[in-house]
Amino acid sequence: MAQPVTLITGISGGLARLVGAELVKQGHQVVGVDYRRVDAPLDYPAELYQANYNKTRIEDVFRRHRPRRVLHLGRVGNLKERMGKRFDLNVIGSGKLMELSRKYGVERFVILSTFHIYGAHPHNHTPIYEDEPLRAGPAFPQIADAIQLDSQALMWVWRHPEVQTVVLRPCNVVGPSIQNAMSRFLRQPTVPVMIGFDPMVQFIHERDMVSAILAAGDGDSIGVFNVAGRSPIPLREALNLTGARQVPMPTTLAFAYLRLARLVAPTIPPYMVNFFKYPCVIADERFRRSFGWEPWVSEVESIYSTVNRGQSDGS
Amino acid sequence: MPRAGPVAGAHNRGVTATRGTVAEWAVMQLLKRLIQSVVLEPRVERAIDSLPVKTNALGFDSWGFSPEASKLYYSLAWRIYQYFRPEIHGVENIPEGRVLIVPNHSGQLPFDGLVIAVACLLEASPPRLVRAMVERWFPTLPVVSSAFTRSGAVLGDPINCRNLLEADNAILVFPEGARGSGKTWDHRYRLVKFGRGFMRLALQSSAPIVPVAVIGGEESIVSLYNIDGLARLLHAPYAPVSPLLPLLGPLAYLPLPVKFHVYFGEPMLFSGPFDDEDEAIEHKVQQVSERVQTMINEGLARRESVF
Repeated sequence: MAQPVTLITGISGGLARLVGAELVKQGHQVVGVDYRRVDAPLDYPAELYQANYNKTRIEDVFRRHRPRRVLHLGRVGNLKERMGKRFDLNVIGSGKLMELSRKYGVERFVILSTFHIYGAHPHNHTPIYEDEPLRAGPAFPQIADAIQLDSQALMWVWRHPEVQTVVLRPCNVVGPSIQNAMSRFLRQPTVPVMIGFDPMVQFIHERDMVSAILAAGDGDSIGVFNVAGRSPIPLREALNLTGARQVPMPTTLAFAYLRLARLVAPTIPPYMVNFFKYPCVIADERFRRSFGWEPWVSEVESIYSTVNRGQSDGS
Repeated sequence: MPRAGPVAGAHNRGVTATRGTVAEWAVMQLLKRLIQSVVLEPRVERAIDSLPVKTNALGFDSWGFSPEASKLYYSLAWRIYQYFRPEIHGVENIPEGRVLIVPNHSGQLPFDGLVIAVACLLEASPPRLVRAMVERWFPTLPVVSSAFTRSGAVLGDPINCRNLLEADNAILVFPEGARGSGKTWDHRYRLVKFGRGFMRLALQSSAPIVPVAVIGGEESIVSLYNIDGLARLLHAPYAPVSPLLPLLGPLAYLPLPVKFHVYFGEPMLFSGPFDDEDEAIEHKVQQVSERVQTMINEGLARRESVF
């Protein structure tokens, strides 16, 4: 009997690799694609391709493997590439992936969006549900590609019901395998914090995120879902857990610092400064109800494992 | 010109921003020192320990309320409360479970809210934690925003309010909003028009409304005039001019040691569709505001001295 084929994008990333490993364990055949080179070899069998999501080569992958499911986990984060390239990959590329999924009879399409598009804003209530306005745009136009990616996927959900589409908007995904802005921030020995602000922040551990993605792929609900993990905690509490030295600074200075630091090395994108000042707490009851999913890793363990700190290491 | 968000605008201000930054830092250090110097009040500790609050493993609820941190802030609030020597009447009128506490608003700074919150915690039995709905300006203020959040206040937003009511909290809401607290002396103890939001939420969640009259707030910080231009510049809801300004300078904005009288009225329960026409809601809102105005008038008539 032929194994069901799952196509995973962004296979160079930590999260996509973990999802692939889990699927192989469950007896799926995994086909991985990334626009980047897949450097470290995977420790499980999978067909790997390097292809831009917006170029014709990606169609060969669909034609050859006829995936039953597509897990589009390869959204390009906002600091990795320039705006134009991000637009090509995230907006045009995702559109192409959806179009190909329809053409080649993909049954289920799961796309990883982000809670960043809600924006951290002083007028945010708690929690934020899926139908609410995406406030990030006006303050930070750099996030336009992420917003458009999400909206276009959402349009697909209803326009093409033949491909069951699920859009996930997770909070900060953290964990030892994750290399996103928040995980890297948590690993810094010294971090800036905004004087007089300490917003509530949500973290979801990579293991819980993997199980959420698999649940979305296995289930039969469609639509857009927040994925939040356990309960929100104050940012400073999280940093107390990492043991980082916190340097309080005014917003103005933080902006200047981030702009300068960006010239030297990838760091947190300036739009994230608002996430260090104002809350953006999302509700994921709909996801839990629709997919029977529950997070398992505690708030504390999520942080500890990200910075490679043992539970017993108390202080 | 489109108004930039508080952060988007921040890095365009150049020199002003640097000067602002230094001032911001100094004020913040002062506030921090003040907060750190507070000694925990045992009565506050006992009351907060007895609250039936649901928090996560680290001791916070989703909004950021922390029983531990709030002990400190409530102890500070308790000192301010004592400064006003308030007389509390009818606190037993607050029913169990979900309720909206609806007072008049006055006195430029929300000392009226503080006095009500401390009264509910220390005078009510069992102690009640009020969740105050705060003006949209507060979350943008450093230190103040986290102090408010840790003590249980939340942004005044219908979804926050509905969620907290569903969880059977006591909500403190000032339907006059900033227009109420920013009243000038010539309008003292005359309610400005109530907003309708609180009534829709009361109807939707079947929550009773406890009308409250606060006497003394209007005399605590007196404003003769409101400088609109300055308020806009500071992104503040209003910029009051105190009559004591020529005499005391910035100290004129410290509250005078007036005596507060707080009257909690009997709960009012309304029924009907929450999404009714504005006119129908307005009719119900007026019953509440008339009740509060009557209680204010009675309280004023009973008052013998401002101090």
